Amino acid sequence: MKIDFSFLSKYHEALLMGLGTTLQLTVICFGLALVLGFVLALLRGSRIKPVAWAAMLYVEFFRGTPVLVQLFWIFYCLPIFLGTELSNFTSAVVCLSLYGGATMSESFRSGLKSIGREQYDAAHALGLTPWVRTVHVLLPQAVLRAVPVLLSNGVGLFKESALISAVGMAELMFIGSTISNRTARPVEVFTAIALIYFIVAFPLTRLVAVLERRILRRLAI
Amino acid sequence: MEYDVQFHYVKQAWPYLMEGLWVTLQLTFAANVIALTLGFGIALLVMSRLWFVRAPFALLIEFFRCTPVLVQVIWFFYCVPILFGVYLDPMPMGILALGLNLACFNAEAYRAAIQAVPREQMDAGVALGFSPLQRVAYIIFPHALRAALPVLITNGITLFQQSALVALVAIGDLMYMGKQVATQSYRPIETFTAVALIYFAVSFPVARLAALVERRLDVARA
Repeated sequence: MKIDFSFLSKYHEALLMGLGTTLQLTVICFGLALVLGFVLALLRGSRIKPVAWAAMLYVEFFRGTPVLVQLFWIFYCLPIFLGTELSNFTSAVVCLSLYGGATMSESFRSGLKSIGREQYDAAHALGLTPWVRTVHVLLPQAVLRAVPVLLSNGVGLFKESALISAVGMAELMFIGSTISNRTARPVEVFTAIALIYFIVAFPLTRLVAVLERRILRRLAI
Repeated sequence: MEYDVQFHYVKQAWPYLMEGLWVTLQLTFAANVIALTLGFGIALLVMSRLWFVRAPFALLIEFFRCTPVLVQVIWFFYCVPILFGVYLDPMPMGILALGLNLACFNAEAYRAAIQAVPREQMDAGVALGFSPLQRVAYIIFPHALRAALPVLITNGITLFQQSALVALVAIGDLMYMGKQVATQSYRPIETFTAVALIYFAVSFPVARLAALVERRLDVARA
């Protein structure tokens, strides 16, 4: 069989559109997951035991089951519980954000853990309210330390988003499969799709590595 | 909408789900065996002093780490037969795709562990007149395996979860069986909840084990 990528130029608009949807999805879920992750990390450190346990169970459950199962669950079961239809996009955002929140919370938690006891004592001595302590003392330090891992998680979300194609949303992978089915040229199409994912993800991982070195040097940890 | 949650549908379908779980476990086990051995080889190659040995394997690792597993699985199923004329059954093909993916992740874990093996260990090996192969087999590998163990176990669990993807290329694993049962019984809530719980019931204890191993290694090192 002859390998010829040139026919793909006909589909470049569709592919770009798919990539656009994938990126949009990734960015939205990344933002939501960051917020959810930080809240979960705080809850897991709560002194009220049932709260801490509930947060732990949530995180373990989302990390302990395949994203594909979560996706199917949210896609098929959530509408039944809510009694309304959810759009593909909403389901996808809910799924990746809930999953992302669980992974992010782990990164935040190790970031929070690395903050020394004396920071808490200082905040206490200065008479800061828990809110001020959390937002102005803990958050900046935890975030700074967790930045590289959080960004890696973001790249992870970008990759996981390919799963959304399984429920028929027109993101990059889905569009790829459609083109492949229509043209019967899976080799070129899927190789191109893989390359597109790679071209986006690889520079990001390099960036993360650079950031990590810088932050480590700055914090001297 | 009124939905009467009834788990006896799951009870009926239980043998199918267990059959699926068995396939999932076989996939996970075989892919882990490939990845634990091949990963070490790749780690050594990527640390080679010769750039033309290092470069292709570094690229391979980056490629597997920077593309979605789904794309990799689909690529293997559609492209390997056409490109290389290799026609494998779905199961070996799934094992191959997942095994290579995991091997690249494990290679990174091994690499970090190998770099952490103290320099003196190598010197001692040289002083004792070990051949390079002996140094790798008797000195580096045991050290690296021990240090990398927590990450290797975690990677193994991740693969167990990622293996659900093969359902999309019609391998009858747990996820696939779950989908079949959900469609046939019109009971998505019970079925997918049960499937999620089964995955969780397997991976949670193993994740605890990894945490325990990590703690013990920390203690042993301190």
